[in-house]
Amino acid sequence: MAKPAVARETVVALRRQIARIEGGLPERLAGSGDDDGLVLRHGPAARRETRFGSAFLPTGASSFDTALGSGLPRAALVEIHGGQTRDAGAVAGFALCLVGLLRKTGLAERENALCWIGTAEIFREAGFPYAPGLHRFYGLPAGDLFLCAPNETRDALWVAEEAARQHAFAAIVLELRGNPARLDLTATRRLHRRAQEAGRPVFLIREAGTAEPTAAPVRIAVSPAPAALRSTVSGPMAASIGHPAFAVTITKSRAAPAGRLVLEWNPDESSFREIRPENSGALVPASGHRPDIPAAGGTVVALRPAGTAAAAPGQPSRKQHPTHRRARRAR
Amino acid sequence: MHPGIQIVDALPQADRRLLESLADWCDRYTPLVALEGSDGLFLDITGCAHLFGNEKRMMDDILSRLFHQGFDARAGLGPSPGIAWAAARFLSPAIVPPGEEAETLAPLPLAALRIAPAVRAGLESVGLKTAGAIMAAPRAPLTRRFGAALLTRLDQALGRVEEAITPRLPVPPLSVERQLAEPVMLADDIQRLVGMLALSLRAELERRGEGAHVLQLALFRVDGAMRRLAVGASRPLRDPVLIGRLFQERLAAFKDRIDAGYGFELVRLSVLKASPFAIEQTDLAGSSMAVEEDLALFSDRVRARLGETALLRPVLVESHRPERAATFAPAARVPVGSIGRPRSDKPGPGPAGMTERPIRLFSHPEPVDVVAAEVPEGPPLRFRWRRAVHRVARAEGPERIAAEWWRDPQDMPTRDYFRVEDDDGRRYWLFRQGFYGTAETMPRWFMHGVFA
Repeated sequence: MAKPAVARETVVALRRQIARIEGGLPERLAGSGDDDGLVLRHGPAARRETRFGSAFLPTGASSFDTALGSGLPRAALVEIHGGQTRDAGAVAGFALCLVGLLRKTGLAERENALCWIGTAEIFREAGFPYAPGLHRFYGLPAGDLFLCAPNETRDALWVAEEAARQHAFAAIVLELRGNPARLDLTATRRLHRRAQEAGRPVFLIREAGTAEPTAAPVRIAVSPAPAALRSTVSGPMAASIGHPAFAVTITKSRAAPAGRLVLEWNPDESSFREIRPENSGALVPASGHRPDIPAAGGTVVALRPAGTAAAAPGQPSRKQHPTHRRARRAR
Repeated sequence: MHPGIQIVDALPQADRRLLESLADWCDRYTPLVALEGSDGLFLDITGCAHLFGNEKRMMDDILSRLFHQGFDARAGLGPSPGIAWAAARFLSPAIVPPGEEAETLAPLPLAALRIAPAVRAGLESVGLKTAGAIMAAPRAPLTRRFGAALLTRLDQALGRVEEAITPRLPVPPLSVERQLAEPVMLADDIQRLVGMLALSLRAELERRGEGAHVLQLALFRVDGAMRRLAVGASRPLRDPVLIGRLFQERLAAFKDRIDAGYGFELVRLSVLKASPFAIEQTDLAGSSMAVEEDLALFSDRVRARLGETALLRPVLVESHRPERAATFAPAARVPVGSIGRPRSDKPGPGPAGMTERPIRLFSHPEPVDVVAAEVPEGPPLRFRWRRAVHRVARAEGPERIAAEWWRDPQDMPTRDYFRVEDDDGRRYWLFRQGFYGTAETMPRWFMHGVFA
């Protein structure tokens, strides 16, 4: 579709202005094609990284790739948000999946380590990385993990910037909790520039933080999702917990039709698979002896108002027998 | 008592600290400084005096600087520690030339010999009141009556017996320093000085075929205080640029704590530990070595700035107990060479047929209130962790992990681990410690880790 000349002129003028602000050449801001009107900007080093062939890493889940543009950017800051601290397993787990993908397609053996940086607080709250589990789920041997747990956000940011330069690392994971004042737009911009220069991604995990202005081109919100059943030769095994699954929402992207996806990570093949709602018959199975599911969702509180949960079969309802809760708590 | 007298309690420890800080300050004259008793310092200035002109000038310099700091100091200089001690106590300021020990010592009282008060009183009671009288007296009866220590002290003072002083700090194999006419205060200036000193250090390191493993920067302040900053390198270093970078991080970490005061007048860079520097020939691509070198330097810089335990690497141990199976050790102690294994290292069950393990493990298992569980063996149905109730949707387990009898105490309870998933899809690793019904205490539940 041919664009009107006036619109084209406007685009060129805007490009020139952006280039002037960023101190680069307007040619670098060239559109990837006139058809979709999508402008992809690459840093000078991202262009140079021809050894990867592409600036993007396909994740294997097609709709996820589409929503990200054409895959995970290899030379960029990627923000991964988690809602609560107790989701830290799922959120960090998702970031590690992306690291696993990168490592699978990585180059030399020596350049495949992972540097995981976080404040001491987050590791106390959400647990330290556990090497046997990382090996089991992501094929990350213990020798390839570097952990840095400084006390202060400032130091964590410094280590992350320095680590981004190291050729030994396939990726940098920086994990912070809440909304530290030091992690402002400038800090994310510095991290993004470092990632662009080095040609390796920096994953910024924000546990229990709200979205703020960021220089990261991609921001993903991750929450836990129920896993599928384990598949065996004789079909799915009842009441088992299969491969890890994540509910993923892309909240910022150059080309993002926002939507919620459920991705399943296959640790044996190091690949993603999308679980679609229509064929998710086995997503939450009605197994035989599982506990009852509450009738209405809501915030989980210590004392549930009476009557919201269905009575267990064979028991009198709560209205009829209001003291049963006390009796059960006493075991 | 006179009303004008002000009484202050004796503080031996504070005196000691003062003496130690003076010893630090004296590092500018010689690296061999030893504490002597509660009020003295031994400085071994062998080979150092010419740096200040001659012995006389050096002593004058020490005394005048101490005077301006407010100390009333006595000094003696001699060919043996004993005679220097005596000269400082009784003839200050005095320089005893070699060969004149006996003449100098002869007229001095017995206290100049550093002998025990009881021995001294005994000698005085028989009329021997000066060191000269002891020298003139026959040796055998003196030894019989007053012990061997007396004549040992005499011989040490006269230089007949070698006496070693015990320096407080080991002598660095190499050190370079710079006296400054104008004191420096700014971190940038110190940084520049470090670069210059490292440059002059390189020639000497190259001559020896060595590289520095531990480096120390000593900053002497105008008013006598001094500061030492040390950095460690995981591989021998020579390059002034790299040494400068390490100190840059160290200085940045100490920015608030280095009080420059009126400035530093002497800056010294010492190599505390050196090791052979292997010159390696790189291949034409020159890539693989560079990666490891970069990584070593990165790790050194992080250590210089954030401390020895800032950068950690996991260490696997053959153990059933999950918290023991993988621990973290400072990266400097884990060989760098172990990074990067062959790509065939596929994910899968670990070494010992390991079943699924969480990706994050709490450093201490956190107690969990289990509201309802399938007694006696089953998983919890609902549990409260960190004040929120979690309802278990699915559970796998138990995996029973017993205590290791060869390491743990006898009564260590057995744990049953469950992998559970709650309604929202969070996957946890819980364990029950103990059994229902067997012991008088109820079993307790703990949260130990989270899965992806």
